[in-house]
Amino acid sequence: MTDRRNGTSERTNGLGIMLGIVGRIQRRSALIWVFALGATMLGTAAAVAALYDTPAKIHTYAEAVTSGNALVAINGKVEGIDSLGGVIQDEFGFMAAFLLPLLGIALVARSTRREEESGRLELLLGGRIARHEPALAALIVATATIAATGMMFAIGLAVSGVPLARSMLYALSLAGLAFVFAGLAALLAQLTRHARDVYAWSLILLAASVVLRGVGDVTETWLTWLSPLGWAEKAAPFGDQRWWTLAIPLAVGVTLSGAALRLAARRDLGSALVRGGAGPEHASAWLRSPIGLAIWIHRPATLGWFAGGALLTGAMGALTQQALDAMVGNSAFAEAMGITHGRPLDGFVAAVQLYLAVIATGYVVQAIGTLRAEEADGRLETRLSGTLSRTRWLASHSLVVLAGLIVIVLGCSLVLGLATAISVGDMAEFGPTLSAGLAYLPAELVLAGLALAVYGLRPRMFPIAWAGYAAVTFIAFLGPGLKFPQWVLDLSPTTHAGNPPEGAIQFGALTITAAVALALIVMGFAAFRRRGVPQS
Amino acid sequence: MIDTQPVIRTEGLTKVFGKVRALDGLDLTVRPGEVHGFLGPNGSGKSTTIRVILGLMKATSGRAELFGGDPWRDAPRLHRRLAYVAGDVALWPALTGGQCLDILGATQGGVDERRRADLVERFELDPTKRVRDYSKGNRQKVALIAALAADADLLVLDEPTSGLDPLMEQAFQQCVRERRDDGVTVLLSSHMMGEVEALADRVSIIRRGRTVTSGTLADLRSRTRSVVHAVTAQKPDGLADADGVADYKQDGPHGQVDSRFTIDPDHLDSVIGRLHAAEIRTLTVTPPSLDSLFLRNYGPTPDPDEAARDESHTETAR
Ligand SMILES: Nc1ncnc2c1ncn2[C@@H]1O[C@H](COP(=O)(O)OP(=O)(O)OP(=O)(O)O)[C@@H](O)[C@H]1O
Ligand SMILES: [Mg+2]
Repeated sequence: MTDRRNGTSERTNGLGIMLGIVGRIQRRSALIWVFALGATMLGTAAAVAALYDTPAKIHTYAEAVTSGNALVAINGKVEGIDSLGGVIQDEFGFMAAFLLPLLGIALVARSTRREEESGRLELLLGGRIARHEPALAALIVATATIAATGMMFAIGLAVSGVPLARSMLYALSLAGLAFVFAGLAALLAQLTRHARDVYAWSLILLAASVVLRGVGDVTETWLTWLSPLGWAEKAAPFGDQRWWTLAIPLAVGVTLSGAALRLAARRDLGSALVRGGAGPEHASAWLRSPIGLAIWIHRPATLGWFAGGALLTGAMGALTQQALDAMVGNSAFAEAMGITHGRPLDGFVAAVQLYLAVIATGYVVQAIGTLRAEEADGRLETRLSGTLSRTRWLASHSLVVLAGLIVIVLGCSLVLGLATAISVGDMAEFGPTLSAGLAYLPAELVLAGLALAVYGLRPRMFPIAWAGYAAVTFIAFLGPGLKFPQWVLDLSPTTHAGNPPEGAIQFGALTITAAVALALIVMGFAAFRRRGVPQS
Repeated sequence: MIDTQPVIRTEGLTKVFGKVRALDGLDLTVRPGEVHGFLGPNGSGKSTTIRVILGLMKATSGRAELFGGDPWRDAPRLHRRLAYVAGDVALWPALTGGQCLDILGATQGGVDERRRADLVERFELDPTKRVRDYSKGNRQKVALIAALAADADLLVLDEPTSGLDPLMEQAFQQCVRERRDDGVTVLLSSHMMGEVEALADRVSIIRRGRTVTSGTLADLRSRTRSVVHAVTAQKPDGLADADGVADYKQDGPHGQVDSRFTIDPDHLDSVIGRLHAAEIRTLTVTPPSLDSLFLRNYGPTPDPDEAARDESHTETAR
């Protein structure tokens, strides 16, 4: 890049330069997002179209899903569910509520606060870039990526046989959802100090939106209208087609973005609204120990994932009785939940446990990913220049992450067990609920092993661990409902737990899964001992 | 009584990252008790050398010894005797400076709490502030204090003063001298010539992963030419052809004679004799600065005009 400019150059457009920079930073991750989300939508739509290929089948599905509140709370209230698009919206609902906000948050957080934190932004602002332009460029690039994702959605739906106008409205409503959270993240990036805090606060607000939408839908009140997820839902692409509702996310997103830009133009670089005060002069004895510091590093993320898991399992557990009522004499509903045989109560708990397994797996992958940040930021080098050996450092972190995993799984299973017991008025299911949670530990550890192995061998390739997680999530959420072939289901380690407590815990399969996890973990440790530090 | 085994020794060290040859046969010897200046331009491989010496990275070929042991296989044990300040100081933003000092100290062989308290005062560090609220210089101070307070036999400092103001730079130099007087060995990587000149007993200069030269400062100077500028009343006799003189230039505008030349150290005395005979009005003899040693890399003898102009050493490394 020997772009030579001489003194006669005119005032170059700062926004243009900034767009080029953000575009380059984001190019790869934006492409991955667009294609991964597009493929997920296309896959879902194609699978639904193949599975529900007659109006009669669609009708049965619609009847089943609307006959209780449990699924409405999870997937949302789909208007016009008695259509191909409606079934797709319902199946995609849970993932969409999670992935699209995340799309907006990730795109913006990465190119704003993260850049400022690293000091790179300072370098640019010393040049001819105005203060608000980095945030503006980040928002423009994020909006373009969201628009591209929406386009992929519309095409995927239309190709699968959904009417074009309805496909467009559905895609736009989802894009609006992502846009609101992009604006929110841009504002939070101006208020908080770290990219991590941008994620934390955005996800807390997302959780609040999920709860508002869920409660609003179940109680059929206006609460839904307070949630960005509700705005997308109320567009009713397969029902009344309320195009005007698109104006709500648009207006809110633009307002949030405008506030972010105003703040960016006014505040000092590196500053934030939320500041920490003075702190202790000495580290406590436990903070000085490798384990203690590892606990301190992983605690915030552990608590965050725990809170998310407890929220989900608690809410679903509380709806157990309603779900059971819906299943009585309605096998299609059970089927929609992936429950094909056995006791309905067991089937319901098994479905929730699978969701919990996906949450717990996300935790381990993310927690091991923070080791990469420790190394890339340069702290690992200092850490290993003392008497601490690499193996001890990695072992302390692995133990802490493992402990965090057990806390999350046991804690959330406990919440689920209690909520279920209260809902059905019977404590008998408590034990099986707990052991079902534990039965997923080996599967979760396989992903932990994968993450450790990638970290040990090539930390730069860490996205492989996230790709593995995405595959597990996709198979776990959509596999049973969409009747994937067995070999696809078998690719995910979660399948091998045997769907407890509905199915019996497969101790043989669990042993093999645990052995695979152990082999991967050993590989990660061995490779880490052998490679140079730091590698980013 | 004097331990003559080198504290650090590398021989023919190479390190290849993919297509980049970061180290290409690097030799470095650091003897006990000395402050060793480790000089080289950006990207010449200073940090990589240090990482190999600390056992953080494995050399592609060649030998690296730390306290006579193999740092790659025995790092934690050997690290008991050293303290390290990395090139890019990175700490935990949400912890306070004091907490970071304790955490860094916990994996060092031992910390002298009295010296630490003293250093905190001398460097004017507020240990109750969060790291993210520190300026870059203050973050640097945290790492420096942790290393200087350690009960170590060896300090490995990778560009330790980047971000320090001149006052703190002075304090740092004073502290390093005190540690040296306690018998501590110091490896000081830097591209700040002044600092190395002020502190180092011996110097190694590297370039593109290879040692260009090493020796004591006096040693290096004696192998290089000084620049002389003399104004005399008469024309000095036979100066142009005298032994050891080169790059001779002369002009005499106002009844005075202006001579500029370079001289090798062995013949300085006899040349000054000749100038003296011609009645010296003004005389400056500029010994080779480390700057010029470093920048010119013992290339052709410096041109006196150029050497006289301060900022003119802009030889571009190719
Ligand atoms: N992990 C790595 N992967 C690839 N290349 C690397 C890595 N570490 C260093 N290099 C390359 O090796 C060369 C030497 O780098 P090094 O950091 O040792 O230089 P340095 O002398 O410390 O420079 P500076 O004075 O700028 O700190 C550089 O060309 C650098 O790009
Ligand atoms: Mg360096």
